[in-house]
Amino acid sequence: MTIKTLFGAGLLAAATLLHTLTAQAASDYLVSTEWLEKNLKDPKVRIIEVSVVPGVYERGHIPGAVNFAWHSDLVDPVRRDIASQEAFQQLLRKAGVNDDSTTILYGDNNNWFAAWGAWVFDVYGVDNVKLLDGGRAKWEAEGRQLDSRASTPKAGNVTVQAANKDLRAFLPDVLAAAEKRSDVQLVDIRSPDEYNGKVFAPQGVQELAVRAGHVPGAVNVPWGQAVAADGTFKSAEELKKVYAAVGIDGSKPIITYCRIGERSSHTWFALKKILGYDVRNYDGSWTEYGNAVGVPVVNLAGTVWGGK
Amino acid sequence: MTASIASPRAALPIATSGLIAIALLAFIWLLADGSNEGRVFSYSLASGALFGLLLQRSRFCFFCVTRDFVERRIPDGLLGLLAALAVGTLGYHAVFGAFLPDPSGGRLPPDAHIGPLSWVLALAATLFGLGMAISGSCISAHLYRLGEGNFASLAALTGALLGFALGFLSWNPLYLAALQEAPVLWLPGRVGYGGSLLLQLALLGALAAWLLRYRQAGTASGTQGLWSLLFGARWPTWVGGVLIGGLAVLAYFRVAPLGVTAELGSLARTGADSLGWLPERLEGLDGFSGCATMVKETLLSNNGLFVIGLVIAAWASALAAGDFRPSSGAPRDWLRGLLGGVLLGWGSLLALGCTVGTLLSGVMAGAVSGWVFGLFCLVGIVLGLKLRPLLRLG
Repeated sequence: MTIKTLFGAGLLAAATLLHTLTAQAASDYLVSTEWLEKNLKDPKVRIIEVSVVPGVYERGHIPGAVNFAWHSDLVDPVRRDIASQEAFQQLLRKAGVNDDSTTILYGDNNNWFAAWGAWVFDVYGVDNVKLLDGGRAKWEAEGRQLDSRASTPKAGNVTVQAANKDLRAFLPDVLAAAEKRSDVQLVDIRSPDEYNGKVFAPQGVQELAVRAGHVPGAVNVPWGQAVAADGTFKSAEELKKVYAAVGIDGSKPIITYCRIGERSSHTWFALKKILGYDVRNYDGSWTEYGNAVGVPVVNLAGTVWGGK
Repeated sequence: MTASIASPRAALPIATSGLIAIALLAFIWLLADGSNEGRVFSYSLASGALFGLLLQRSRFCFFCVTRDFVERRIPDGLLGLLAALAVGTLGYHAVFGAFLPDPSGGRLPPDAHIGPLSWVLALAATLFGLGMAISGSCISAHLYRLGEGNFASLAALTGALLGFALGFLSWNPLYLAALQEAPVLWLPGRVGYGGSLLLQLALLGALAAWLLRYRQAGTASGTQGLWSLLFGARWPTWVGGVLIGGLAVLAYFRVAPLGVTAELGSLARTGADSLGWLPERLEGLDGFSGCATMVKETLLSNNGLFVIGLVIAAWASALAAGDFRPSSGAPRDWLRGLLGGVLLGWGSLLALGCTVGTLLSGVMAGAVSGWVFGLFCLVGIVLGLKLRPLLRLG
């Protein structure tokens, strides 16, 4: 064996190592598009799309994926709540999820509702749930194959547990944090204009709260700060820096919120799943808090609802 | 064929037609910039162009074909419409089976034009039928006839914009009175895909069998060569119908059901909104599937490109076939266009689409609303035909 072949072999080994490193996702709770494409045929892998825009799934989805509608499948259609334990279990079984399945969630709009889905899975104690890093947009941008035939998998046998209330923040929990009765940090992931009270809701969205501003004590880290240019999550190191800059370092329990709780699931995922912090998502979010009577509010812009 | 091309009088329009076709293809090419949006834009423009060509070549005008039968018992045009509906029904059901394997679960297939059933739909369709009879065509035919040089169609389209504005103003009370509680009936949801397919094809077949009894002995067309086949005499309407049925399925599969009023309605909504005419909220309007309108924020839209493609391709096709006859029309034509146009716009806003969006795309999708629209449209046309002498429309 000459030095030349040794050198060549070393180079090859280094290249392979580098390749596996890049192909590997940033966290155990994320999979790369490349990984998913290689594992499409794995019977243990179940793929579920949760997109905001209707008709997107039907005109082309990741082969084998099942469609969940965020506004009817994952919520209680009458009262404001997540889907009931029974309904959720039935939904998962119909989607072919088994106790030993690895479920991959993805969707449009930077995985907002896919992350929200992941949070609902977590509340019901379903394990092995991961997000496709970069979501639908990255899969499409890389020119990977799409299928427009909806799949009807064989019914699964998954058993979901009772909802774990410790993973979900309710109004009293947020109020306790606002009034400093508990040592919990609040992260408001909305845009600075919403946080400061200049607007009641982002552009193109109904104003569903009669007060503007934020929960006292909340820090503002817009959800977009957790993603890289290609829509994937930033690395754990980078994420740590982003949140440490506003004093969120995982030393205290955290509550994330936004307007209706779906964008905040994205940040919940980053903090809880990638960084391993103690985080609850407040799904009532500003549409509940901003309408609650008698709760303290910080409104830096001083916008008055209904006033001229 | 060579004679018609060689003659100098025909050469100029054909050359112009060729240039328009090349420009259209270049625009389609440029739109496909690799992004998702670009590809959909490009596809929309291309399918609009194809639709315009088919409408122009087969004279696919809902009013004209109905009038042919009502007044002269010539069923050919209506048979073409039935052919489009039959082919579209087959294709739509095949696509539905892929999109939504279980139709009984209470869900509707995405974007399909399945509208609410109420007396408002019947009223809207009747108004639309009247509008067709007064203005001389439906909206899609006004668009392709604009391409043929019939500039009075502009009056009808302007009227339609006003009609849309009127529709927005009357929407809230009608929504609360009837539409909010109106059932949305989708045949496959009730009887499955097979049942719906059989039921629809049986209905269309029965109608065709009845119409065929009136068929008059056709004149054998002496077409020679591809050019005269394409741009000689008009195509038999059933040929256009079969092709339109196929196009409708491909359009639904890739972008959205065929429809020509979403962009017009959006223009009207944007205009009325900026003038402060619109109510603060249009209750439930945006929750229905159909030719959806919105306040425009971007210049290009799928339906806008579809309509532009339609008009331009109809123009190119009319030039090539010698059907381009620019005429500004008499003041009376403009007036009746405007008047009929208002009814067309009003009717298509309340019915969430016109003869293309609600009748064609609705019936193909197995929507009972499509059938109801068709029935009352016919009532409106018959009424309108009786009115025409009174309005001195001939």
